[in-house]
Amino acid sequence: MRASIKDSIALFNPQGFLDGNNASSLLSVSDMEATLRLKVDMVLVSLKKVIFFNKNGLEMFIRLFEKVRKEHRIMVGFCDYDDKKFNAIKRFFEKEMNFFLFDTYEVAKLFTNGFNEKEKTILLYSQDKSQRAAIAIELHNRGHNPIIAQTKADFEKKKESKDSFDIIIEKTYLGDMGEQVAARVTANAVIYTLSGFLDNEITSKFNITYHNNSLNIGFRLFIFDAFKVSSMNIHGLNFFAKLASSSAEYNATLCFVGFDFSNTPSTFKDDLEDAGILFYDKIEEILGDKELLAELGGSSAAAIQQKKAITKQIVSQLPTFVNAIVETLEMMTNAEAVKEEVKIKELTLMGQKNLLASSIGFYGDMDGMIVLIFPKNIAQESCSLLIGEKTDDLELILDSLGELVNIVGGKLKTLLSDAKIYIQITLPRTYDKIEDLLEVIGQRKGVQVDLKFGSEHFTFFLTR
Amino acid sequence: MITQKDIQKYISKIPPTPKIVKKTLDYLSDGELTKAANCAKEDRALCIYLINLVNKPIYGFSNEVKDIVQIFSILGINESMQVIYNYMLNILSPKKWEFFNLNENLFHNLQSELSLSWTNILEHLQIDDREIQTSITLLPASVIVSEALFASHKEDVELIRSTKNIDLNKILKSLSGYSLFEICLLISKKWEMPASVGKIVLLSSGEKITEDDTKSLMLGKWMHLLLFFTLSKPAYIEANLNDFLEFNIEFVEDVYEEFLQVMEIES
Repeated sequence: MRASIKDSIALFNPQGFLDGNNASSLLSVSDMEATLRLKVDMVLVSLKKVIFFNKNGLEMFIRLFEKVRKEHRIMVGFCDYDDKKFNAIKRFFEKEMNFFLFDTYEVAKLFTNGFNEKEKTILLYSQDKSQRAAIAIELHNRGHNPIIAQTKADFEKKKESKDSFDIIIEKTYLGDMGEQVAARVTANAVIYTLSGFLDNEITSKFNITYHNNSLNIGFRLFIFDAFKVSSMNIHGLNFFAKLASSSAEYNATLCFVGFDFSNTPSTFKDDLEDAGILFYDKIEEILGDKELLAELGGSSAAAIQQKKAITKQIVSQLPTFVNAIVETLEMMTNAEAVKEEVKIKELTLMGQKNLLASSIGFYGDMDGMIVLIFPKNIAQESCSLLIGEKTDDLELILDSLGELVNIVGGKLKTLLSDAKIYIQITLPRTYDKIEDLLEVIGQRKGVQVDLKFGSEHFTFFLTR
Repeated sequence: MITQKDIQKYISKIPPTPKIVKKTLDYLSDGELTKAANCAKEDRALCIYLINLVNKPIYGFSNEVKDIVQIFSILGINESMQVIYNYMLNILSPKKWEFFNLNENLFHNLQSELSLSWTNILEHLQIDDREIQTSITLLPASVIVSEALFASHKEDVELIRSTKNIDLNKILKSLSGYSLFEICLLISKKWEMPASVGKIVLLSSGEKITEDDTKSLMLGKWMHLLLFFTLSKPAYIEANLNDFLEFNIEFVEDVYEEFLQVMEIES
């Protein structure tokens, strides 16, 4: 079975009956290996469509989880279950719950390193006091605002005022966190949360692919929240010094906030500063000061853009790019696309209104960024297959536009690999205000392809 | 990817019920087992199908059965009709499966398992109705239709599903306006199958959870659950059949406990 991948979560969706006979067919070692090659933060099995399971069936999944958790240090577990299933899992594995349980996929997302999660207010309750505290701390560390209900009655009462929270967590269990360095995004800055003693282990805990992707997408400010760091040794120092020098190639800035040097040689601070790393006491000093934020490269993407020219190699593969986009959109809309104009120029939108956009970066044998700009009705049409119906819900449309550009990226990856060109794709970004996109693109030149779907225009822009 | 025109083209290409098969079914409807068997003997392919089928371990006969009259006698009228309808469906099945990892033998097993389990369920429900018993034979048409329509779009479907967990039925409905089960219904009409057959299979999609005809709705629930019980077997999971349709747990909740008893599953 293949997993669907979104927000860095790989989600397996088995259906029907799950027992010891069929578990290894539903989720095989090769399925898991193929999924892990896609560098996800979390692997989950949704139990939403599983009507029956027994201990033997789950145990086979858990054995696989255990291996993945140990070797890849990522979070693994189950989601989408009701009270009955939640209680059954806890009963089966009471003393050896190293895996995670999340009420829903939406709840799971709160615990990933995904880009798009904004600060959420979460009503939290767990019968288990230590779990309640652990979940609250974890949510807080990830930039969310947990409202903790101390008793079931308190929870039921708080649940009634629906406007005071975004999400409810009631049946979640945190297993082994996998010890990855957590990351989140605020104001165009990537914030990593560090904890404990920083030694050689940091090389495996830190997701360097994620960091490189962030650089490729255009992030230039990286803040290391080090309030919970006890100390650092020479291996930790070398790691961050190297990271700073490799990030400097992208003109990126690395900052530490809240690092207490009382248990760390003070010369380390000098060494890190020499490597270009800046130190601040509080994160608010950066995020609350717009001028400083702009100076460090975190106010907007426009201030940090790189001006790279479109290469011959990209131009030579232009038909492949256009095919990937046209084929995907035709597949999603069942409408024919007609190519109108192809020109190398700055992005020009002919006074069109009601536009939405999505973009995705690619890197590897070639690098660049694909931008798709849709009139709202074409976006609605293109996403109706993914949403299941035509909708006016802007958030849902934008979410699906992200999925759509992800599909385009996937298609492109396949088509280019036929030409022995191997690329990886980044996480998608969406724009509900076209001005934001124009700010990101700035004066960059690229290949602009104007297409027509029926009477509507659609623009594809390929840049670096 | 798939348009209404493609669906109409597909339906127009479905051949009518072969004459001998039609005549055999007519005899069975009239309760004429021997005449039906003698008629079936005129179709060599049908005879081979029948002999291969009833000698599968799932039918549990200790000695090889080769005589068509004997086969019909053992099966009885209702099961004989099921088997003939299953044979008809095979006319539509591809020589080589590309979308699903199926082969002729595995597809026959799927048909047989569904048919035999359906017979058990109807016995449990104390329903002795020829049309209802044969309705199960139309259900695997959803697999054949999916194969026919999606085989040339396998990569595209995989790409969509790697981003979003969406079943083939939703993709098809969104693109062409037809659901897989509506296409099954069109096939049943073309083959002049009884109207109740199409109705139960349509309800077994789990898409329509209310219906005035409560008996058909209840049978639709049993059939939906039976389908996903069967598709949870390792061979069908490995054939990629487990998630080609979406299982609707809420739809079957009220028959689930009883289903576990009939299938002798320990909860």
